[in-house]
Amino acid sequence: MASSSSLGRVLTLCKQFQSVFRISPAINVQHCSVNLKICQQNLLSERISLIAPPWISPINSVAQHRALHTSVSRRGLEEFFDNPENWGESTVKSGAPWTAKQLRTKSNEDLHKLWYVLLKERNMLLTLEQEAKRQRVQMPSPERLRKVERSMIRLDTVVNERETALRLLQTGQEKGRPGAWRRNMFGFEYWYRFKEYAIPWYMNKRYKRKKFYTPYFVQPHIRLRIEKFLREKARKADLKRKSLAKLKERFPQMKVPSS
Amino acid sequence: MPVTRLLHPLYQLGNPQLRIFRPNWFLTLVRPGKEQPPDTVQFRVPMEMTKYDIKNYLEKIYNVPVGAIRTRIQFGSNKKRNHLNQKVKQPDYKVAYVQLAQGQTFTFPNIFPEKDQTPTEGSMEEMQEKFMEDEKQRQKLDPRRGGVTEWFGL
Repeated sequence: MASSSSLGRVLTLCKQFQSVFRISPAINVQHCSVNLKICQQNLLSERISLIAPPWISPINSVAQHRALHTSVSRRGLEEFFDNPENWGESTVKSGAPWTAKQLRTKSNEDLHKLWYVLLKERNMLLTLEQEAKRQRVQMPSPERLRKVERSMIRLDTVVNERETALRLLQTGQEKGRPGAWRRNMFGFEYWYRFKEYAIPWYMNKRYKRKKFYTPYFVQPHIRLRIEKFLREKARKADLKRKSLAKLKERFPQMKVPSS
Repeated sequence: MPVTRLLHPLYQLGNPQLRIFRPNWFLTLVRPGKEQPPDTVQFRVPMEMTKYDIKNYLEKIYNVPVGAIRTRIQFGSNKKRNHLNQKVKQPDYKVAYVQLAQGQTFTFPNIFPEKDQTPTEGSMEEMQEKFMEDEKQRQKLDPRRGGVTEWFGL
């Protein structure tokens, strides 16, 4: 059952990849032959690993592999342009962006590959957008750019989640870059992020120039700062109360806003 | 894209090379404004990319053989004024001229060719067009009146 579910996942992945890629008609013969070879190898390896499940029909598996192998086809600078079939169309169909939920089911390797797929797609769309601007025509289906952006952001979050989980397990650190709460000369507390230095801190003049303490004579100023803040707050509240009272006097029927 | 504050470990001689996983640099291939040699491709690249970055990007991700790269920074105009008569700055960008190796040539294709826009049978647009034609026919004056206006006569 496990093997069948993994195969099903591969199938869905292929389908989704198919929507992202478009098979170019101008793949040269060499590429095709190479792809076929890899395809056969992959097929063999999968057969071995899955011990040849009887329900795999050859057509099905071949279709899978063909969908996968569009990713391998390298077209060079052609990849900066859309499929020639879509040139001059007013709208181009596109699928939904990847959701974080979908991406969480993928392996790290898949995510890494998908990032490059999205990167190429985005470059293509940016090229298309710029050319449309230049020729002063409408870009076909500009919503694709946003979709790709969202997918990339989600992919990034998913990878970060994984990194964080691993780091928490291994080192217990919540953040990738270690840091600490420090106080500066003016009594403000802030998150200081640590940085690598080539020499130890006591030899580092520039580091030693920094001041992570509050001198004693700053204390009254901190108090004054707090006082200023509180006064401002009170003044604003007072103004609001007074203006409300005035309004109430002029319009007795008025409803008082809750906040 | 959210800004990823990536901090590479401090490089010391003998350390492994600094690498970028999931690069968030996006190139735009643009049609050159001035005529370029046939092997030159013009890109708009992010400001922080260097020539070596561009070379690696194109060779590793796109598998394009790169010969030489020249870059310049295009000043975005700040001549425009907004409704408050303040200067409005267009963002600057870096332009890269990439010369392809191995005798490859590149010409920017026409990606907006003229296509005949005949709506498909039974679609909404076709019905709309038909309706508009009908309306036009109906609004036309009677040809038997010989161009005399409607309100004239009985």
